[in-house]
Amino acid sequence: MQLQDKQRIAILSAYAIALHGFESLLPTPIPWLKLGLANIITLVALVLYGFRTALMVTLIRVVLASIFIGTFLGPAFILSTGGGLASVLAMGLTMKAFKSLFGTVGLSLIGALFHNLAQLTLAYYLFIQRIEAILIISPFILLIGSLTGIANGIISDILIKNLLKKDREKIQNVIHS
Amino acid sequence: MKETIKNTTLADRLLFLLLISLSVAGIFISRDALSQGSEVVIEVDGKPAYTLPLYEDRLVSVGGSYGDTLIEIKEKKVRVREAHCPNQICVKEGWISKGVIVCLPNKLIIIVGGSKKDEQLGIDAITG
Repeated sequence: MQLQDKQRIAILSAYAIALHGFESLLPTPIPWLKLGLANIITLVALVLYGFRTALMVTLIRVVLASIFIGTFLGPAFILSTGGGLASVLAMGLTMKAFKSLFGTVGLSLIGALFHNLAQLTLAYYLFIQRIEAILIISPFILLIGSLTGIANGIISDILIKNLLKKDREKIQNVIHS
Repeated sequence: MKETIKNTTLADRLLFLLLISLSVAGIFISRDALSQGSEVVIEVDGKPAYTLPLYEDRLVSVGGSYGDTLIEIKEKKVRVREAHCPNQICVKEGWISKGVIVCLPNKLIIIVGGSKKDEQLGIDAITG
């Protein structure tokens, strides 16, 4: 791994941890509502720097953020790790398998969907074990997940475009000077 | 932002429509499937701890890993009145007359259902 990659992973992880921590402080008007803001950073990492960077950033984020919040190795940690990994794997695979079929927004939706599916499955097997409870709550969670997924996808797309534009400007400045 | 929305691919839009319609349909289907119950079942750690009639007002205190949780039954509705879990999701759910309240930290599940419904949800058949 190059030094530049390590720096990128460190900076992106720091952003992701900050967003994850900030989100855990927000009061939620509806139970089960989570914005999934950290997924913005995962998505930016995936699109700009590839799957390995995105995976590293996700792993570092879920472990460190849970230590900061105080949920490390608890139920919330297991759910957030499972959700984070499922989402980054699904987005990475989708990007590889269907190259330009889905845009950033579509990838974000897929990430949100698999995040929620993984969490519901984990919650069923590890904690709840009542299939009725899972079936009742699933559609609500998937609906909220799709809405936040769209919002995060739009934010990620704007972020990616601006970052690419800045990069291009930087290169042009170097050439001109 | 306008540009981003304009730049979404056809697959993006179809996926969004599919997800939204599936989940909205799911909400209505699960609502229909749950008829109003007459019994409150309180489960701790996956095992049924109490079965109480919904029409009898009372307060129940159930122990869990975060101390005692106070469950209130009143006017054919149930709520978690007091819990010591960190996120308080169960308390915020408020009064329910059907469905489920789950408190993950305390491993506590409150199910409102009828004894009739439990039979319907049972196993239809077992094949070898």
